[in-house]
Amino acid sequence: MKNMMHKSLLALAIGAGMTSLSAQAEITIGLAGPVTGPVAQYGDMQFIGAEMAIEQINAQGGVNGEMLKGVKYDDACEPKQAVAVANQIVNDGVQFVVGHLCSSATQPASDIYAEEGILMITPASTSPTITEAGYETVFRTIGRDDAQGPVAGRFIAEHIKPERMAIIHDKQQYGEGVATAVRDTVEEAGVNVVVFEGITAGQQNYSSLVSKLKRENVDFVYYGGYHPELGLILRQSKELGFDAQFMGPEGVGNPDISKIAGEASEGLLVTLPQAFETDPKNAELVAAFEAKNQDPSGPFVMPAYTAVQLMAEGMKATESTDPYEVAEYLHQNTFDTPIGEVKYDESGDLEEFNFVVYNWHADGTKSKADTGEAQSDAAQ
Amino acid sequence: MEASLYFLQQVINGLTIGSTYALIAIGYTMVYGIIGMINFAHGEIYMISTYVVFIVIAGLSMLGIDSTVFLMAAALLVAVIVASAHAFAVERVAYRPVRGSKRLIALISAIGMSIFLQNYILLAQGSRDKAIASLIPGGWQFGGDGFAVNLSYMQVIIFAVTLLSMTVLALFISRSRLGRACRACSQDRGMANLLGINTDLIISMTFVIGAALAAVAGLLLGMYYGVVNPYIGFLAGLKAFTAAVLGGIGSIPGAVLGGLILGVAEALTGAYLSTEYNDVVSFGLLILILLFRPWGILGKPEVEKI
Repeated sequence: MKNMMHKSLLALAIGAGMTSLSAQAEITIGLAGPVTGPVAQYGDMQFIGAEMAIEQINAQGGVNGEMLKGVKYDDACEPKQAVAVANQIVNDGVQFVVGHLCSSATQPASDIYAEEGILMITPASTSPTITEAGYETVFRTIGRDDAQGPVAGRFIAEHIKPERMAIIHDKQQYGEGVATAVRDTVEEAGVNVVVFEGITAGQQNYSSLVSKLKRENVDFVYYGGYHPELGLILRQSKELGFDAQFMGPEGVGNPDISKIAGEASEGLLVTLPQAFETDPKNAELVAAFEAKNQDPSGPFVMPAYTAVQLMAEGMKATESTDPYEVAEYLHQNTFDTPIGEVKYDESGDLEEFNFVVYNWHADGTKSKADTGEAQSDAAQ
Repeated sequence: MEASLYFLQQVINGLTIGSTYALIAIGYTMVYGIIGMINFAHGEIYMISTYVVFIVIAGLSMLGIDSTVFLMAAALLVAVIVASAHAFAVERVAYRPVRGSKRLIALISAIGMSIFLQNYILLAQGSRDKAIASLIPGGWQFGGDGFAVNLSYMQVIIFAVTLLSMTVLALFISRSRLGRACRACSQDRGMANLLGINTDLIISMTFVIGAALAAVAGLLLGMYYGVVNPYIGFLAGLKAFTAAVLGGIGSIPGAVLGGLILGVAEALTGAYLSTEYNDVVSFGLLILILLFRPWGILGKPEVEKI
């Protein structure tokens, strides 16, 4: 009896396999990023952007007569799981991947994709080493830490001019990378960095660190990492009477930081990609997101949309789904996208990508930081 | 002067963390003392209580109740009940059926339970951080030129409540009938059973007491940090387990001492060395203790029973 059930299940499975084979007029795009885990909301930004692009491209008839299909893969922002996900993507025969999100997850996954000839565009990973490996099928639609770090560093050196600065990071590829880039820039400009230290992500008590910063009379703190830890550091700083100015990269620019830190998040400085959703050129797209009740303002939404668009344009122009041909086309051409004009250099990095400094507010909103020149658009 | 104030501040910080390690460590040490197994799901019980505390406080605040004392009492009550129910169920489902078998089997069952509980909260509550505003902000500040020591009300409450819970527990174990039964079970479970003690009940009770103390830790830490996510149980459980082994697993005063030593050691590492070395120091301490005094600071060397 049991045996028979096994057989009929097997038959069913084979049948299902065959129907999916016959409906092959689809190009699958793997959407890899954290569906679960402490930074899952950044994954959501990436997913809604990519899914919107897939939907709009399909509405216009798809690519070369075939429809695009997005399939989510969850790496939980963990390097180990990212490798498992990448292998699964290989086994599923997927040739195009938008992802991953966290640099430490993207790094090992990209090795697998490059080896298997899969085209990968990450809309969020900013660590320079990802594209430095020189893979021809690996791209990104976001800036690099060594672009973001200097933006933050120059802002600090020119507008804040701290007397005693501290740089804290979470010892992960992304956090430490951007923190190091900031340190190099500010030290060159002559800023006095008195503390450069790592913390353990996931820990909750930072009172010892905060007391130390207070004793060192630090007046400015740069944090490289994500919002859960910085939120706690801000909260405990307030509790312990430490009132320096804080700053972080786009990984802390999330309304959740205001939920965690409350009042203490007021005035935090954050470097974020330009607010693409305020570009009048994108008004139609923003309306499409809003019609679906989705928020287009997350830093990775438009880059993810762009990643899918680039793949589709490449496939259309080369009339093929061969990742190498598409990659070559991406390297050689210039594209008009929601994140502006996209042109790739040899390594798969954008030739131009701007980070802008914002002021974060306790209600989870942000406004452009006053740099003396851009006062007119300070309120948004 | 400034240096000593700074030292004082770091010791205060350390004692606060240490107290909460101690509260969670009790759960490990009591269970080990009685059935000789390490309940790896205990950190998750602490995490679940923190969630319950958040839900109760958020819910009651929405109903317009703003008396801090009432909010805390209600949250504590519900958290103790929910945490105890979980611990009781975990013991019945995952540990009692394998009690007679080898130690390794119970250990694997405990690790499985820990993964299950974490994922069940992950599915029910999502992975994003949940946060509440501080109910008891502010504190005292003293010292002056150079460095001011901050002692928040919450830190004092954490320390006081921990000491109070420990005293009550110590009295319960040493004076009450059930406490005596507990001690009897830990000395010789078979004999206690023969003498008419319901050992199953005592074991269940041990889990419930451990969970209740974890719920107290959940309330205190939830209010102090103001943030919870499904992953906090893992690290907290690991540190508390280290504290329990450091103090001597099976010994209740040992768990308290171990927690405080660990907390202060971590704070001082962060203060004079670097926060990066926190875990190196805490687990280094654990290795040293295991090498030179495997029964811990206050534990008793195990005599092989024949």
